[in-house]
Amino acid sequence: MSTASLHARWSPDAGEHEHAMFGVEGIHCAGCAGTIEKAVSRLPGIEIVRVNAATARVSVEWRGGATTLNAILDAVGRAGFTPVPLAGREAAQKFSAERRAALKRVGLASLGMMQAMMYLGALYGASDIDASMSQLMRVAGMVIVTPVLFYSGAPYLVGAWRDVSNRRLGMDVPVALALLLAWVPSVVNTMRGSGEVYFDSVGMFVFFLAAGRFIEMNVRHRQLAGDEALARTLPAQVTRLDDAGERQSIPLAALAPGDRFLVRKGGVVAVDARLAAPADVAVLDESLLTGESIAVRRRAGDPIRGGSVNLGSPLTLVAVSAAGNSMLASIVALVARAQADRPPLARAADRAASWFVGIILVLALITAAGWLFVDATRAFPAVLAVLVVTCPCALSLATPAAFAAATNALSRLGILVTRADAIERLARVDTIMLDKTGTLTEPVCSVAGIELLSNLSAARALAVAAALERGSEHPLAAAFRGHEDSLVVASDVREFEGEGVEARIEGRRWRIGRRTFVTSLAPQAQHTVFALHGHEATSYLGDEAGLVAAFDVGAPLRREARAAADALRKLGISIVIASGDSHRAVASAARALGVPVAHARLKPDGKIRLLDELRAKGNKVFAVGDGINDAPVLAAADVSCAMGQGSALAQSAADLLLVEEDLSRVALAIATARRTMDVVRQNLLWSIVYNAAAVPLAALGLIAPWLAALGMSLSSLGVVLNARRLATVQPR
Amino acid sequence: MSIAYLLVLLGMGILAAAIWALFWAVDNDQFEELESQGASILHDEPEEDPP
Repeated sequence: MSTASLHARWSPDAGEHEHAMFGVEGIHCAGCAGTIEKAVSRLPGIEIVRVNAATARVSVEWRGGATTLNAILDAVGRAGFTPVPLAGREAAQKFSAERRAALKRVGLASLGMMQAMMYLGALYGASDIDASMSQLMRVAGMVIVTPVLFYSGAPYLVGAWRDVSNRRLGMDVPVALALLLAWVPSVVNTMRGSGEVYFDSVGMFVFFLAAGRFIEMNVRHRQLAGDEALARTLPAQVTRLDDAGERQSIPLAALAPGDRFLVRKGGVVAVDARLAAPADVAVLDESLLTGESIAVRRRAGDPIRGGSVNLGSPLTLVAVSAAGNSMLASIVALVARAQADRPPLARAADRAASWFVGIILVLALITAAGWLFVDATRAFPAVLAVLVVTCPCALSLATPAAFAAATNALSRLGILVTRADAIERLARVDTIMLDKTGTLTEPVCSVAGIELLSNLSAARALAVAAALERGSEHPLAAAFRGHEDSLVVASDVREFEGEGVEARIEGRRWRIGRRTFVTSLAPQAQHTVFALHGHEATSYLGDEAGLVAAFDVGAPLRREARAAADALRKLGISIVIASGDSHRAVASAARALGVPVAHARLKPDGKIRLLDELRAKGNKVFAVGDGINDAPVLAAADVSCAMGQGSALAQSAADLLLVEEDLSRVALAIATARRTMDVVRQNLLWSIVYNAAAVPLAALGLIAPWLAALGMSLSSLGVVLNARRLATVQPR
Repeated sequence: MSIAYLLVLLGMGILAAAIWALFWAVDNDQFEELESQGASILHDEPEEDPP
C-alpha cells in the first residue's frame, strides 16, 4: 500500500494542526514505544506523539506544513518498525499474519524443546555414559535448539539489536543477552567435545517467551477486535438505486446523502439512513453500536444508524450522511483516538521500566563478580537467572492492559471512552451532576395527567387534541402523538405562534394551547380549572362552549432513573441535579429520585458556577448531560459523559459517550472504572513484589535458569490475564 | 550401541515431519478461525441474496 493512499485513508484535518493515527508492527513492550516516540519527535513541527504499546497504535499531531505524514512514516520505519493503517482489511490481514507467525514460533519452540530435553536429559546424572554417546546427544541438542533460538526467538534478538543500535536499553536486551550467553558457550563446548551445554535451557526459555507472547497477542487482538469490528463490518461496496430504479454497485465512499440504496437481509447498513418507503418497517440489530442485543423496530421517520444489521426483509434506504460523516465513523474515530493515547499512569510505569533494565544489567554484573570470588562454576547460571527472571514487561503492561480491557468492556455496554485518562478520573469521582431534560427525563414529552372539565371522555379529548396538534412542530405537540383516532379529523388548521392551534372538527371550532387563547373562543363561559400537580406545562383544550380538558404535559422521568440514582448512591456518590427548568419541574424530579440537592433555572454559566463551587469543596465532579446544550459544563467537569442520539453525540467533547440512552449504565461505568483501578494497583503491586523477590533469589543462585524463564513468562502473563477479568462486565 | 545413532536420526526425522505438518496447517488456514466452525453444524443452508 502506497503512502499516498495511506495519507488519504488517515485524512488528517486540514489547517493549522494535522493529526494522524496508525498502527505499528513489531511493538512488544513499552521500550519500543519510547523508541518510536523519540524517533518521531525529532522531526520538525511535531507537537504530540503518543505510542500505546498495549494496542500498538501511534497518534501524532504536528503543525501543518512543518512536516508531512510521509516523513513521519519514514521516521517510524527507520526506527525499525512497520507502520500500518488501522481499520479495515489491511488491519485484518496484519492480525492474521502476526498470528500465523506467532503460532509457528510457539509450535517450533514447543516441539524442539521437548525433543532437545529428551536427548540432553541423558546427560543428567548418567555418569556411566560413554563419551561418543554424550557427544551425540550434544550435537543433536545443538541441531534442534539452534533453529528454535533463531526462528522462535527472533523477535527478542531483533528487538534487542534494534535497541542497541538506537543506543537505548529496551526490555529485549537482557533476554537476548541471556539467550546468547547460554547458547554461545554451549556451541563452543559441543565443538570441543567436552564441558557443559545449556541447549535444553535455551529451548525451554524460548518456548516460555514465545508462548507468553502468543497469549498476550491473542488478548490484545481480542480487545482490538471490538472496535475494529465496527469499522471492518462496513461493506466496501453498496448497491445504489439510480433514478430509474436500476441497481449499480458503487464503492461505499461514493454514496452521497440522498442516494437510495439496498441492504439485503443480514447486511450491514453502511451509513446513517432513513426508510425510503413510509410503509416499511425495519427490524435491526444495533448491538454493534449500543451493546443492546435485542432487535429494534424502525418505522418511517425513525433514524437508522450506520452499523446496524438488517434482520428483516431486504430494505430500500435513503442515505442521510456520507460514509465518513456517519455516527459510526465518528465513533470509530473517537474510540481510536482514545486507544492511541497512553494514560499518564502508564507513561510513568514505562519510564520506571526503562530504568529497571539498566539496573538489572548492573545487578547481573555484580552477581557475576560476586560468584567469581565465591564459586566460579556457579557464576554463570546465576547471571543467566538474574537476566531472565526479571520482568520489566509486567511493570509496563500492568496499566495499559487493564485500561484496554476496561475500555473494551465498556464499549460492549454502549459506553464509549474517548479519552485515555477518563477511566482514571472516573474512578475518583464522588459527586455526579445530572442535567434533567433529556438526561433524567425522556427526550420526548408525553401527557402525564388529564383533568376533564366537561362530559367528554379522556380518550376522545386526547384524540381531538392529537388531531389539532397533528401538524404542529411545537415540542409540546409531540406529547399527543400516538393518541390519534382515524375518525377524528381536523380541517382548517391554523397555528397561532406562541398561543396554540385552532381547527375545525365535525363542524365545531376547537382550540388547544394557552389558557387565555383557548378561553377567548368562548368569552361568556364560566371557567374553573383545578390545580394540576406536576410537570412543566399545562395545555388547555376547548371549543365554543368553553374549556373541555386540561392536559398536564411534560417529559416523564426515564424508567430506569430511580434505579440508576439508587445504584449511584450505593457507590457512595452524591447526586446533584442542575437544570434550566422551572423549580416545580425540578423539585418533582428530585423528589421522585430521592435527591436532596436540586438546582433549577440554571443557565449554562450558572451550572459552571455550581460546578466550581462543588470542586472548590474538594469534590470530584462527574457531569452527565446531553452533548450539545451542556457542552460547556461537560468540558469544565472533572470527567463528563454525554448521552443523546445520532451524530450530535459523537461531536460532543465529553470523555465518555453513552450510545445507549440508559442512565443505569452511568453507575456501571463508575463501578467498572473503580474495578479497573483496583486491577491496575494489583498489577503494579504484583510486578514490584515479583521482581523484588525474584532478583535476590536469582543472584544468590537459588533459582535455576529454567525456573527463571518460567517465572518471567508467568509474571507478565499474570498481569495480562488479571486485566482480562475486566472484560467480563455484564449489563445489569 | 550404534542403534542409538539410528534412533536419534529417526527421532529428528519425525520431529522435522511434525514441524512441517504444523507449518503446513498454519499456512493453510487451519488455525484461522477456531470458534465458528464448531457451530456451523447448527446453521441451516446459507442464505441466498435477495434477487
